[in-house]
Amino acid sequence: MAHRRVVITGMGAVSALGQGLDAHWDALAAGRTGISQIQRDIGDGSIHKYGGPAGVAPVLDTSQLEARLGPRPIAHLDPFSAFSVVAGQEALTQSGLIGHPTLEHRTVMVWGCGSGGNQTIEDGYSRAFLKGATNVHPLSIPKQMISAPVSHLSMLFGVQGPAFTVASACASSGHAIGEGLWMIRSGRADAAVVGGSEAALTYGSWMGWIALKAMADDTCRPFSIDRRGMVLGEGAAALVLEDYEHAKARGAHIIAELAGYGATSDAHHITMPHGRGAEAAIRAAHEDAGLSLDTPVLISSHGTGTALNDKIESGAIRSVYGADVAQNRVIATKSAHGHLIGGAGAIELVTGIQAMVNNLAPPILNSLGPDPECDVPLVMEPEAHNFQAVVSNSFAFGGLNAVLIAKRV
Amino acid sequence: MAITADQILDIIAEEVPIDRADLKPEATLEALNIASLDMISVMFALEDKFGVIIEQTDVAEVKTLAEFISVVQAKAETKAAAG
Repeated sequence: MAHRRVVITGMGAVSALGQGLDAHWDALAAGRTGISQIQRDIGDGSIHKYGGPAGVAPVLDTSQLEARLGPRPIAHLDPFSAFSVVAGQEALTQSGLIGHPTLEHRTVMVWGCGSGGNQTIEDGYSRAFLKGATNVHPLSIPKQMISAPVSHLSMLFGVQGPAFTVASACASSGHAIGEGLWMIRSGRADAAVVGGSEAALTYGSWMGWIALKAMADDTCRPFSIDRRGMVLGEGAAALVLEDYEHAKARGAHIIAELAGYGATSDAHHITMPHGRGAEAAIRAAHEDAGLSLDTPVLISSHGTGTALNDKIESGAIRSVYGADVAQNRVIATKSAHGHLIGGAGAIELVTGIQAMVNNLAPPILNSLGPDPECDVPLVMEPEAHNFQAVVSNSFAFGGLNAVLIAKRV
Repeated sequence: MAITADQILDIIAEEVPIDRADLKPEATLEALNIASLDMISVMFALEDKFGVIIEQTDVAEVKTLAEFISVVQAKAETKAAAG
């Protein structure tokens, strides 16, 4: 069955590398890192200290949103919502859809988040447990609910079609983008605002990741020998997807085509990945995109920097592409901005598309040398290229996998 | 602890948020487009900052900023007297 073609007409990003896609991309292209050592405390600071490497987003400039809407709609947002509306505003502004009739009733919003409003939840807990207070902020629930970002996006931009949040841990926004793609393909909408966000650099969240022994104590070194784990980042990325004919008819600038989506589940373990799910998702995405496996591609990897993920992902890539793997290139930008969890799939797709349209693959940072178990063609220095497609991998805890493919138009 | 009208208006300006210059005592909450949920945030901030506990029933009849200020100040004085 022939589906409607879907293209990307807007993109936005907030990460430790900066606010705005240009700031994010310029830093990546120059090989700059957004990861730094943080030291924080809660309460009186005597007990609850935490710290280590992290990708901290900048203080947001919301003047563009305020100029259009005033300060009130964005005054009481948890950071995971604030990142979302800033990235959403950038993507929608670029698309030229703000104020367009399609936005009102023929647009859907699908957003990916891993964990909800951590800061709001933890502010409430610390108030109750540390200070002994018997009440919490009246906006605690509406600020922390995992659907808050997409509700705010809908309110700020007047989108009245279906809007909801998808949660699949580190693949949340990969799934959100893929499902948004299908809502346009199936005719349920002409446009979709998709992406995801996370703000999890809070005490409780940090403790949880530390306890899992998933966090690096030095920095994020994807596919490197002696890598020691992941580094948490924060931020958001947004894309505006649009039916190709709709975009063409209104003379929109088309950035790329969103051509393929493959989603699978490992059905294996709540933290350990299994290569079969990753491999099947990459194959499914190629099939969906009509892109043969011997076509050279840029791979925006999941590349977390944990011992097991990178080994399993390398194996899946080698297995899918066989001898043709040598003509591909693998990037791993978590080495620069950290792991955005619910926002990871979106920021890495957006980054991969930037790399494709700018003909430049950004370098993987912090390598200590090759790991024989990660024998894939890694980009270690900024590298000029002419790939016609980018494959963006998201492989989440619990074995939930989403792979997206974008092509040049 | 005595709370001045300016301190109360500052908190309203910050919590709603709304331009401080628009907060004339005679203005009604309705005219300023300040919703009851906004005022719950304001009362939470007043409790956090000054320890004065205001129940929603205390402000049920409040229409203007001046009336709200009176309620808050009366509550603060009662609290101070009680000790």
